[in-house]
This record gives sequence, structure tokens and C-alpha cells, in this order.
Amino acid sequence: MIPRHFQIAIGLLLLSILLIGISLTRMPEQSPASTQLGPAAPPVAGKQEQVRVLVAYDYDQALRWRDAEAFMPEDRGLRAGEAVRSILSQYLQSPSPHPLGKGADVKDVYWIGNDTLVVDMTPQFADGHPSGVLVEQLTLVSLIETLNANVPGISKVKFLVNGQERETLAGHADLMSFYQTAAIHDLAKEFE
Amino acid sequence: MHWNKRAEILPAALLLCLGVVLPWSKYSSAGAIAAAASSAAHGGPRHARFSRAGVEEQPRSSPSPTPPLLSAEAPKRALPEFFVMIDPGHGGNDKGALLAGAIAEKDVTLAWARDLRRQLEERGVPARLLRDSDQTLSLDRRAEITNEARPSVYVALHAAPPAGGVRVYAAALPFATETTKGRLVSWENAQTVSLERSRSVARAVANEIRRQDRRVSWFAAPLRPLNNLVIPAIAVEFASVSRQSENQKMETALASAIAAGIAQVRGQLGARP
Repeated sequence: MIPRHFQIAIGLLLLSILLIGISLTRMPEQSPASTQLGPAAPPVAGKQEQVRVLVAYDYDQALRWRDAEAFMPEDRGLRAGEAVRSILSQYLQSPSPHPLGKGADVKDVYWIGNDTLVVDMTPQFADGHPSGVLVEQLTLVSLIETLNANVPGISKVKFLVNGQERETLAGHADLMSFYQTAAIHDLAKEFE
Repeated sequence: MHWNKRAEILPAALLLCLGVVLPWSKYSSAGAIAAAASSAAHGGPRHARFSRAGVEEQPRSSPSPTPPLLSAEAPKRALPEFFVMIDPGHGGNDKGALLAGAIAEKDVTLAWARDLRRQLEERGVPARLLRDSDQTLSLDRRAEITNEARPSVYVALHAAPPAGGVRVYAAALPFATETTKGRLVSWENAQTVSLERSRSVARAVANEIRRQDRRVSWFAAPLRPLNNLVIPAIAVEFASVSRQSENQKMETALASAIAAGIAQVRGQLGARP
């Protein structure tokens, strides 16, 4: 005959095993990333800086230099991406001096050689861009001049949209060619 | 018997060699196209664009454009007849901007272009429309048609919602290209040969618009297909308003100013009067 206290102890043991099992099955699965012991992506070297952005004002048909605060990495490619984001943020606010489509952003930035910059934009940048000779020209000049002012050593800039070449930005301004920053600098003076 | 067999084998071997060599020569030209693509990636000349569409497999409405000839080096002929090529912007699948809430830019530009043709003809200036219906034409195709037709002036018409007033454009050529040799000129910078005359036309048209007490500015713009044309070329864009009746009045007045401006500089454009 099993003593009564043994029966109670075994019963409690079985109950606790059952409860632990239930709680384990209900626990959310941990993502592999959170269990990784290896180092995460290295922190980007850089600092908060004042950047010069050339802002387009549609109503005045003009471009004006403004100062903005941005985290600017040391790497030239990352720096170029942040410079473009700084000017885009001016256009994506409301009210905007030069409205662009929601979701307009930089996807990627890379170099051909040491002086040619290729800026790959999101599809929303072109698809949501207002159509018109003036507005498209203001966008391109504003972006290229802002890049030129904040990233040293760019002599040519080319824009892609979602990794592909496009004939025009929104039906007018050329997106197929490589823009020379020096020539765009002269063109910008017409609007300043 | 031994020699007879050889005689049968030799033609067969020759045919076999041809079969190997011909496709190989095809691959060689594909290699040249790839080299042109690489040149384009470094801001190479326009003939490189033959490869661009191929690389991306983008649909094209027309074959690749032929690099235009420099007008100064073109074979000497008698002066061509003076006529104006009017290009109503957009068309077909390309609606352009949406004006006054619901009107497509392509319809506004077509009506405006017909008005301009009428007003030019009233002044004794022959004119043709690049499209006279709701037709899809790529920008490269527009440039090809115009360069082949050799008009004395090309006028592109556009309408857009923002800001106010009228903008007259001549081409800006801020594009990086390699220097081309001989009679070929790069596609991106084809307008170089006529840029000064284009600016004269733009100034004359802007002055005529100003005479109507309208706000007008003239700019240089990297606008296609202006940069791809070898003849004097301008574009005119007006900021549409919300009332359709106002827009129609504006189109008619602007057509009159453009026609007057072109008639004024007709003598400077090197065509038969």
C-alpha cells in the first residue's frame, strides 16, 4: 500500500510537469537574430552636422539655399544618401514649397569610379512626381546642387528609379543622361 | 575512288565552317554593343543608347534613333523650305499632367497646336503637327521624325498646373558625353549646333508674350527631346488655371504670340523665305 503523502507528492509532481509543458508550448518563438551572439552591424561613423540644401519654391519659380540639421556619415556614399534625404524631407513636409509624392526616398547610392555618383530612387519619387517642365527641372537641380554642396568630389550624377533607367522624371526632364555638376551649378543660378 | 570521296567531303567541310563563322560574327557585333553600353555607363556618346533599351528590355515604340548629322557638315543642298514643326506634348498612353482637376495635358496641347498652326499659316508660315491625333510617340521617335523632316524651327507645347505665367525654354546641355568624331554628333547634345538660334527664337517668342502683359520667363532646361534635335528648337509651357474657358483664351493668345515671334526671326533661320 502506497502511503498517502507519496500519492499527493506524485500527483503534485505530475501536475507541475503538465503546467510547465503548457507554458512552454504557449511561449512565443524567439527570433534567431535575438539569440545571435555575433556582433550587430558596425555603427556608422559620423556626426550631426549642418547641411546646405537648395530648396525649390514652385510658386516663386526659384531655388534658395537653406541650412538643415542631419546626421552625416563619413563615408561618401552614405553621406550622399543623407544629403538627398535632407532635401527630400523639405519637400515631404506639409505645407511643402515643392510637393513630391509620398514615399519619395533614396534606395541606394553608389559610385562609378571616383567622381560619378549614381542615385537610385524609390518608384514613388518618379511615379508621384508632378508633371511639368519647370517642376521637374527644379527637382533635379535642387538634388544635384545639394549633393554637390555636401559631398566632395562629384563631377557627374545619374538617377535611376527602382534600379532601372527612365527616359524622363515625369514626362519632361531627362533622366537618361549623366548630369555634369558644374553645368548644373550654372543652370541653378538662373533660379537663385 | 579515294579522291572522289575527298571531293564530296570538301564542300561539306566548307559549309560546316561557314555555319560556325557566321553565328560567331553575330556574337562579335553583340560584343560591340556591350562595349557601347559600358561606354554609356561612363557618360559615353548617344550611339551607346542603342544598347540601353536592349540591356533593360524596355519596350520601345520605335527602333533606336540614328545619330544625327551635324548640319554644318551635311551635304550641301539648296536651302530647305521654311516650315515649323509643332509638337503637342504627350499623347496616347502618355496623358501628361492633369489640368483643372480633370483635363489631360495631351488634349490641351493638341488643341493649342492646331490653333498655332492656323495662326502661323495666317501669317504665311507653313506648319506641320508632329501628331494630329491622340497618338503615342516616344521622345526619341519625336526627335527622329523632326531631325529627318528638317523643319526650320521646332516648337513643343506643354501645360502644367503649378505657379503662374508662361515659360519659354531652349535646351540646356549639362550632359556628360565623349567627344564625337566626323559627321556624327552625340544624341544627348545634338542641339549644340543650333543652340544659339534656338535662344534667339526663345527670346523673340518671350518678347511677344510679354507684349501681351503676361508674366513670362525664359529658361534653359534639360528637356527632352529639345537636346536631341539638330534644328532650332524651343518649348513653351503655360500654367493652366482652373477655368477651362480661361485656358482656351490663354492658348489662343499664346499661339498668336508664338506665331508672331517665329515670323519675326524667320529671316535669321537660314531657310528659303
